[in-house]
Amino acid sequence: MTETLAIHIARSPAKKKSWISRLNWTGAATLTLLLLLWEVLDRAGAIQFNFIPAPSDMIGGAVELLREGSLQSAIGHTAGVALIGWLIACVIGVVLGTILGISRTIWRWTAASVEVLRSFPSITFVPLAVLLFGFSSAMELVVVVYAATWQVLVNTLEGVHTVSPGLRDVARTFRLSPLRNITTVILPAAASKIIVGLRLGLNLALILAVAAEVVGNPAGLGYGLMVEQQALQPERMFVYFISVGLLGIFLNAILQLIISRALPGITAAAERGQKS
Amino acid sequence: MEPQRTQPTMQSDLAFSCQNLSVEVTTKEGVKRLLDPIDFSVRKGEILSIIGTSGAGKTTLLRALGGLIPTTENSEVLADGVPIQGPPDRVLMVFQDYASSLLPWRTIRKNVALGLETQYRGKELQKRVESALDLVGLRKRADEYPWRLSGGMQQRVQIARALAMEPSVLLMDEPFGALDAITKNSLQDELLRVQEQTGATIIFITHDVEEAVYLGDRVLALGGIPGRIIEVLDVDLPRPRHQIYTKELPEFLRLRHRAYESVVEAELRLRSEE
Repeated sequence: MTETLAIHIARSPAKKKSWISRLNWTGAATLTLLLLLWEVLDRAGAIQFNFIPAPSDMIGGAVELLREGSLQSAIGHTAGVALIGWLIACVIGVVLGTILGISRTIWRWTAASVEVLRSFPSITFVPLAVLLFGFSSAMELVVVVYAATWQVLVNTLEGVHTVSPGLRDVARTFRLSPLRNITTVILPAAASKIIVGLRLGLNLALILAVAAEVVGNPAGLGYGLMVEQQALQPERMFVYFISVGLLGIFLNAILQLIISRALPGITAAAERGQKS
Repeated sequence: MEPQRTQPTMQSDLAFSCQNLSVEVTTKEGVKRLLDPIDFSVRKGEILSIIGTSGAGKTTLLRALGGLIPTTENSEVLADGVPIQGPPDRVLMVFQDYASSLLPWRTIRKNVALGLETQYRGKELQKRVESALDLVGLRKRADEYPWRLSGGMQQRVQIARALAMEPSVLLMDEPFGALDAITKNSLQDELLRVQEQTGATIIFITHDVEEAVYLGDRVLALGGIPGRIIEVLDVDLPRPRHQIYTKELPEFLRLRHRAYESVVEAELRLRSEE
């Protein structure tokens, strides 16, 4: 009976795509064309700004910086601070977000403070952090942690708040302990929101790390950007500029890969949610 | 299976015994009563169907028995002789909305394992999960995600997940209400078969009078707002029951008639009071 009544949904073949077919060829073609256009316009003298170098000049700048070793160390510093800060923010954000999401009493006391504090743009705290911690990497780290924590916390909180009453009832009828309820029901149910928070947090961590380097900490990509700008070396400045962008893309891609590998069920459920 | 009504029932034979069971909620407008005080009991191994007009408190009653909502202070509600404070041990709810009751990030196997994971591990866990899946004929689909299955199969997963706990009581809230007629009939028969194998007590809410009579040893009708018991029918139909032959029996038709009438009368009374 069971089998005859079963509606067998055809399963899409889960073929592993090779990295070549994963590459966005059409998108890459457009980007290459734009770069070529830039190069041609620059050579033809159509670009009036003095300090916009042609892409080929930037390659020269990049080779120089790599030979000096300053680009590698700048990337290492910025990526390191952004990642460490982000990891700390993930722990604080998920733990606090879960506690605030579960306990109505605590939320009643803290909701107003959360709403006020989260609405300050994090960048406004950079001068304050410089005042408190000086021109140091500690200052940079504090700023990164502060900014990323809000993203993770607020999204975790929202995720926990929107766990369906149906799932809460299931946890209760199966008499799950509070801790098991959190780990097996609440956090996975909130996971797609939490992941959004993690990604936004990572982006913000990088932005704030660079901002802190521009304003205060004499190290990393942001500092390099400033130094080369003041030295009127646009070819070298643009290398730092582009490195920040590439680092952001790279970190995001790694995070997405880790999430889809580590949490197959949540990824599958989320993909299905997007389709319906 | 046939209830023995001539002998007095002992307290220890009762899955639930309720005196003055009533439920109130406090809203902004004040205290609102959802269920008037009612007295009833449920024998172990019995299938009790509950029907009633909407708003009569069927789900409220079931949730109170499942320990999901509190009853008023002078209610005396015992589950297997023990006062209910929170969900009782081995009393499992099966919800109507299977889609939001299954964990979409877990495969069927891991959904069924949900309540067992703290007590069992490894092979013992898998054995228990698989025998629960066998009860509903879903072992072959164990490693798929629940949302890949049809509604009827998802509801089977939810039933298997409850059965894996070796429940003494299943509290089912319109579990087949969202399914098409043919799937519904086959699940009714599977439920009866599983109940015969496990001897579990089942309290089954439905808005389908025919389903209530077909499944139940007794049918309890609730009516009014707030709800109270308006009729209790004993169902003296032979088991195993059969979708065609049982439903042609004069006694089945009489009971269906009576149950339907009591619900309709309650509905009319409610309208005339308004």
